[in-house]
Amino acid sequence: MSEQAVTVEAFHHHDEDGTRLGFWLFLFTELLLFGAFFIVYGVYRSAHLNDFKIAAESLNTGIGTTNTIILLASSLTMVLSLNAIKAGRVKLAKSMLLITMALGTTFLIIKGFEWNAKFAHHLFLQTSAAIAEGKGSPLLTPGPEMLPDGQVLFYGLYFIMTGTHALHIIIGAVWMGIVYFWIAKGSINPDNAGVLERCGLYWHLVDVIWIFLFPLYYLVA
Amino acid sequence: MNTKEQSFNPRGPIIVFSALIFLTIATVLLSGLDIGNTGALLIAMSVAAMKAGLVLYFFMHLNHEPLIFKLFVTLAFVTLATLFLLTFSDYAFRGIA
Repeated sequence: MSEQAVTVEAFHHHDEDGTRLGFWLFLFTELLLFGAFFIVYGVYRSAHLNDFKIAAESLNTGIGTTNTIILLASSLTMVLSLNAIKAGRVKLAKSMLLITMALGTTFLIIKGFEWNAKFAHHLFLQTSAAIAEGKGSPLLTPGPEMLPDGQVLFYGLYFIMTGTHALHIIIGAVWMGIVYFWIAKGSINPDNAGVLERCGLYWHLVDVIWIFLFPLYYLVA
Repeated sequence: MNTKEQSFNPRGPIIVFSALIFLTIATVLLSGLDIGNTGALLIAMSVAAMKAGLVLYFFMHLNHEPLIFKLFVTLAFVTLATLFLLTFSDYAFRGIA
């Protein structure tokens, strides 16, 4: 009887340190994903320095700074949410998580307006098929009106990098919604907050990536 | 797990957040200086690295993690830096970039 109890205990053994280390390994793969983008940016920037500067001037530093502050604030509320649940303040943890989600959503809305302004100027990525059919933007289609290669590259990288980043914000916000539901249900609680902690690690990494995207697109014009 | 014994204290995170905001404003103001391309890039990237360090160390709780975590994270960033260094040094000597 007691032997059986020991077996069941061993089966349910959960190694929180190991789980967290595994999650960090996943975060390293995210670093490599964005690292590759940064390498492409670096190589093309050095090849088309003037075009990159001219194109970067069209991005609004005020908007970029606002979004940076919003993301930093969301990282703060995320930390506070984890601290609160560990201190047994479940209600506070839930409010902080909601604020974090709201800040993430605000970031996306601002980003959306920013992209929309670029769409209006026909600066979105285009498929070679659209260009071949003559449906492409004149600014991106080879011809007299076409932007210099360097600027086309800049806008392409801008959409790919901020787009991949925004995708991570969406995933983070959805994950927070699920975590919120689990806190409400009680399966995430002061004694078992590992999922909230990993959700926080992910959110902070997304913030770290933005910390590098921000100067490269909005500041070094 | 003695997590329940911790009390809620927002002071530390708020101090780190204030430092992050300060660095953000500083980097925006510094970007207005006319110090040439390399200098501007160097300053912007140094400030970004400081901010990333603060987030990693305090918000991602590396300060409370065992040494093995710190070593792994350092190794990950050293790997990334090696990839950057090798790629950029290669392109620098090709003359086409």
